[in-house]
Parts: sequence; structure tokens; C-alpha cells
Amino acid sequence: MIELKSISKSFTGKQAVKNLNLTVPDGKIFGFLGPNGAGKSTTIKMMTGILPIDEGSITINGVDITDYPMEAKHLFGYVPDRSDIFLRLKGIEYLNFIADVFQVSKEVRKEKIDYLTKSFGIYEALDDHIQTYSHGMRQKIVVSGVLLHDPDVWILDEPLSGLDPKSSHTLKEMMREHAERGKIVFFSTHVLEVVEQLCDEVAIINHGRVQFQGNMTEMKQQFQDDDNLERLFLELTENE
Amino acid sequence: MSNAWKLMKIMVKMQLSWAGKSSSEKVGYVIMAFALIPFGALILFSLNNLIGSLYDALAPTGNESVILALFFILMFVIFFVTSIGTVLSSFYFAEDVESFVALPFHPYQIVLGKSAVPFLSLYGLNALLLLPVLLFYGLHSSAGLLYYLFAILLWAVTPVIPFVLLSIVLMFLMRFANISKNKDRTKIIVGMFGFIFAIGINVVIRLDSGGGGSGAADLIREQNGLLELVTGFFPTAYFSSIALTQPASLTGVLYLLLMLGLSIGFAILFLTVGQKVYFKGVLGLSGGTRSRFDERKIHKTIKQKPLIYSLWLKEMRIIFRTPAFFTQIVVQSLFFPVFLLVILFMESNTSVASLGSLLTQLEGKKLVLGLFGFTLLAVGMTPASFSSISRDGKSWFNHLHLPIAPQTVLRSKIITAFTLNLLTIAILSFAALFLLQVSFKIWTLWLLLALVTNWVTSIGGLIIDLYSPKLDWTDEREVFKGRFIGLAMLAIEATVFGTLILILWNVSAISGIWVTTGVLLTFLIILIAACHAGLKRLSNKRYYSIH
Repeated sequence: MIELKSISKSFTGKQAVKNLNLTVPDGKIFGFLGPNGAGKSTTIKMMTGILPIDEGSITINGVDITDYPMEAKHLFGYVPDRSDIFLRLKGIEYLNFIADVFQVSKEVRKEKIDYLTKSFGIYEALDDHIQTYSHGMRQKIVVSGVLLHDPDVWILDEPLSGLDPKSSHTLKEMMREHAERGKIVFFSTHVLEVVEQLCDEVAIINHGRVQFQGNMTEMKQQFQDDDNLERLFLELTENE
Repeated sequence: MSNAWKLMKIMVKMQLSWAGKSSSEKVGYVIMAFALIPFGALILFSLNNLIGSLYDALAPTGNESVILALFFILMFVIFFVTSIGTVLSSFYFAEDVESFVALPFHPYQIVLGKSAVPFLSLYGLNALLLLPVLLFYGLHSSAGLLYYLFAILLWAVTPVIPFVLLSIVLMFLMRFANISKNKDRTKIIVGMFGFIFAIGINVVIRLDSGGGGSGAADLIREQNGLLELVTGFFPTAYFSSIALTQPASLTGVLYLLLMLGLSIGFAILFLTVGQKVYFKGVLGLSGGTRSRFDERKIHKTIKQKPLIYSLWLKEMRIIFRTPAFFTQIVVQSLFFPVFLLVILFMESNTSVASLGSLLTQLEGKKLVLGLFGFTLLAVGMTPASFSSISRDGKSWFNHLHLPIAPQTVLRSKIITAFTLNLLTIAILSFAALFLLQVSFKIWTLWLLLALVTNWVTSIGGLIIDLYSPKLDWTDEREVFKGRFIGLAMLAIEATVFGTLILILWNVSAISGIWVTTGVLLTFLIILIAACHAGLKRLSNKRYYSIH
């Protein structure tokens, strides 16, 4: 379970996240939605230990990210929204580096690298520099790196952007399997169709606050007037 | 043409804009400008002296035009060489090249726009060197108004021909060289070329150890044939110098017109070649090579490594594979030892070669302090250390969400800087043991001092970079450009170690090789401990808040 308790974050006078509370139960694919600048990325960065939290606390499977950062970081895998990282490394060197960080044994990493990169169709590009990869291939190598140590919690920032339909389908299937094993997939997206098709639960955030949290049926019941998710999203995130 | 003009304006604006530069960077530039004033004055003073004595020596025989010819040749070479890097990066390696190609511009318009900044930057050197030369020559030869008018016109067109020639050569090279395959390699070769050029210039200066203007004048008189031969390769230098020495004659006017005509001709040639060739070199710049896939090779590389080794390996790979890092860190730190080796080889018959035996005759304390000072020169400035954090750029955040302790990341960076300096230490050791025949005892002493100093400077640089890193760069060169972190490090080292050497030198209670070494090492070890403690405190405060 992921728990965000009354977290706040300000940047030079501007409050990006205000007293935000969120609980992500086990066994769910959790969609995190909101317009640009709503505070999604800031929240995810606090969850992953990239940004210090001003107020409040975040626990991942009961481990506090501020008090026990190393332990907490072993529990999740994070796909950032930018994939232009470690460009001068070869694909295989990047995966080996990430596996070393998570102390994945030689046998396990060999099996995982084979399985993941073949599933995403980048196996034969492993010996090339990441710099020569297309955007989608970079995204795939990062996703493969994250899944190497089989983390309980997946935190994915716009994971499907740039993926071709086949890889997108593969990743969605992996997300579903992961959730069915009682684990958590937490992901942010702008694509509402994906949310409708994939998520068990969603939270919509705007101006640094949660505007709605619940499962898809609840959401549809609450907003019966709105016949589609897009209109609902627009209504919820309308600027006051 | 108006499109080309718009492009030029926008490219100059983008390059010279102050936007996005921090206020400390701006202050740094202002301080730098002021610091350069005495340096500039020194150059002007020695140029004036050189021209004066050359003029006095050559005017009686009517050879004074040679002075101007020499400077025009020099400027030609300088413009040609300095443009290699700027033209390549502006025409081919800049990130924005492809976005301009997609816009409805003629190739010649883009080339013109792209050449604005590298071409204008030549005028900086032109103003710094050629302008005073022309002025001083005018003063020494008591020239009239016509000379100055000619001089201004010739000054203005001097950069045109070398710039155009070089650009054309590069455009043809890029047309046929497989750049998309060797982009990084090309950048590295260009970086190395600058390094070799600098060493070469130093060698030439050392060869001409006659000293002063009169020595050079003798050389010119003795080697008249050679000079004619050289100006034969640089006819423009010949035309310019004749135009300036005989401004009132028909010959002078004709040569001036010839130079102006040639410059215009070259400019037209530049646009024509640009129109025909430029795009052929640019298209296909992006994308890279795919190596042939070898499954066994991949499986061989899959193995578990200790995290610190894995981090170190990542750092080294990135430094050696990124052209800007390779030239700024590896090549530059080799400059001092390689330069020293060249001198030693060249002077193998003179007093320098017997330095090894001379060292043993020195008083113990002076010897140790001298060795320590020398070590600071060799391993004191470590770009690898003061770029430790900044090198990561926007990838820095990866260290934050991965379960790696801050101390492990920082330690791997210290070890990286330390390792890179070992190369310098190895070359110097070779020079000391085999060329200078330094005794084994002294070498061991030096090695010990060098290793400990290396550790100190590696942490020192990291601390400074952690305190004020530059992560928000789009081009790797920005890690070094416009930052005064190297100067800051130099200033701190000069203060700390300068004071230390001064104190040890003057305290008579400390004497002899072993006592001095002992005191020095104790101080350095205390310094290392203090630096580690400081680094720990700083990293607690800064590590998670830099972005």
C-alpha cells in the first residue's frame, strides 16, 4: 500500500502540492490524472525520493520514504517522464548498471534481460548506445531496467508515451498481471482512453489537491450527467 | 536575402543571449573582463616592443613590409585553426541544425546564418591582435592618413578568406566523411587537434630561442628565401603588406583593390558552395550506427559487479565517450605532462637533463617543498573533480530515486577523478625515472606526495561542484564554459597550499627530507579528513536539493 498523508510542497513561494492525502491499495492499477502543472510530477517526485517533502509523510508498503529512503527505494521501480538519460551507455551497460544497483544476481538478470528486452523488441539493440535509440526504444529500455529487480510497487510517469501499439499492449498486459499478483501499479497519464480501459482506481488532481478519488464505477455513478470520461475530466479540472 | 538576414540575427541573438545565465555567471564574466585588462596591456606592450625593434632593424634595408606580411600570415593561420571547432559545431554538430533544415530556407541562407557567430567571433581576435599591430606599425613608420584608411579596410576583410577556405574544406569533408557514423569521433579528433596545435606552437617557440625582436629580425634576414617561400603560400598576406607599405602608390591601391575584390569573390564562392554542398553533409547527421548483434557477446557482459565499481565504470565510460568531456578532462589534464615530456626530449643535451642529479644536491626541505609545488601544478587542476556533479546534467535525479547511498555516489566520483589523474602521475613518473634519472628515493617520495595530493584535489573539486553545480545544460560543453569553477579551485588551492609552503619554508625548526615530508603528509591527511567531514555535511544539505 502507498500512503500519502497531508503532504505539501512549495517552490519559492508557490505551493505546488497542498495538504494532499492519497491511499493506493494493493492489487490495483491506479491512474493518477490531472492537467499540466496540476502537481502530478511533484507528487511523484516526492513519492520516489527525488524531492524532499515539506510537510506530511509518504510510506510505501509501510516504509517511510523520508526516514528509510534506501529501504523504501528497494521496494519500487520508477519510470521517469524523460527517457533521455545515460545516452552514452549501451543498452546492456545500462541494464547491468541498474541490476548492480538492485543487486540482481547474474542468473536472474540474464533471464530477465532476455525476457523483457525480447518482449519489447529491443533485444538486438542491446549492444548499441542508447543515444542511437528512438524515443520509444529509450522508453522501453528504461521500463526494462525498472522491472529487472521485480519491485512490488511500480511508479510510472507517462509510461506509454512513445510506445508502439505492440509494446504498449505488452506493457499494459504486464501491468495487469502485476496487479493481479496483489502488487501495485501507480501511473500518471494524460490519455483518458487508457485510464478507462486499464485502471481499477483513479485520482484526479488539480491545483495541488485531490479533486476525486475512487474506482471507475463510483466515478461514473457520481457524475451520471457526464456520458464520457473526457467531459468529466474537463469538469473536474476546470479552472475556477 | 532578407531571410538570411533574419536567420543571422536570430542565431546571433540565441548565442549571445544572457537569458538563462545566473547572476553569479554574469558577475563572473565582468570580473573576468577586468582581470584581462592587465593581461591585454601586457600583450599590447610586448607587441609594440616587438614591432618597434623589428622595424628599426629591417627599415634600413627596406625589408619592413616583411613585418606586416608575417603578422598577416600569423592571423591567417590563427583564423583558420580557431574556426575548425566553431564552424564544425555551428554548421554540423549544433542541436538546432535539423530544425532549420526543415524550414523553407535555401541552403546558402542557413549557411550564412550559421556562420554569423563563428565569423563574428573571429573579430574578437582580430581586434585584440591585428588592430594593435597595424596601429603600432603605423606609429613606428610615421605613416600618413592613407595608411590608416587602408589599414582599416584590410583589417575588416582579413578574416574573410581564411574563414571561407576553412568552411569550404570542411563542407567538402563533411560531404564525403561518414559523419553520422563518426560524429563523436570527429569531435574528439578536433579536440585533440587543438591540443596538438598548442603543443606544436610551444615547440616552435622553444626552437626559436633567439629571444626579442632583434633575434627574430636576424632570422628574417638570414632566411629571406624561406620567407618568400612562405608568403608564396599566403599571397593575401603579401598583397596586404604591400598595399600598406606603399599606400600612396598605384601598386598599393591596386593591391588594396585586389584584396577587396578577392574577399568579395570568396564570399560569393562560399555562398555557392554552401548552396550546393551544405545539405549533403547535414542530411543524415542524426541517427547512428547499429553494431552487428552478437548474442554471445551480450551474455558475456551480463555479470554482477560491486555497486561502487559499477558506478565508477559508468563515470569512466561517459567521460571517455562524450567528446566534450574527453577533450576537457582527459586531453587537458595530459597537456602539462606531455608538454613537459616534449621539453625534456628536446632539451635532452642541456642542463634540464641533469636535473635528476641536481635534485639530490638540494637541501632536503627545499627539495620536498619544490616537489610538492610541482605536484600541485601537475594534479592540482582536475576538471574531472570539479565537473563531478555537473557532468550528470539532467540525469542527476536518477541518483535520487535509485537506492544508492549518497556517500557511495560521491565516493565513486572521487575515485573517478583520482583514477584519471593517475595517468598524469604515470607519465611524470616515466619522465622522472627514465629521462631525468631521478633517484628511486626521491621518486618514491614524490609519488607518495602526488597520490595524497591527488586525493585532496579530487575531493576538493567535488565539494566545490556540489556546492554550485550546473545541471541545466543542453550541450556538454556548458559544463566547462562560462563557469569559473576552475578559477575558484585554483584560487582556493593557491591560498591554502601557498600559505602552507610559505610557512614550512620559513620555520627553521622543520628541516630535512623526512621531517618535511612527515609534516606535509600529516597536514594533507588532516586536510583529507576535514574534506571528507565537510563533504558529508554538505551532501546532507545539498544532495537532495540540487536539480
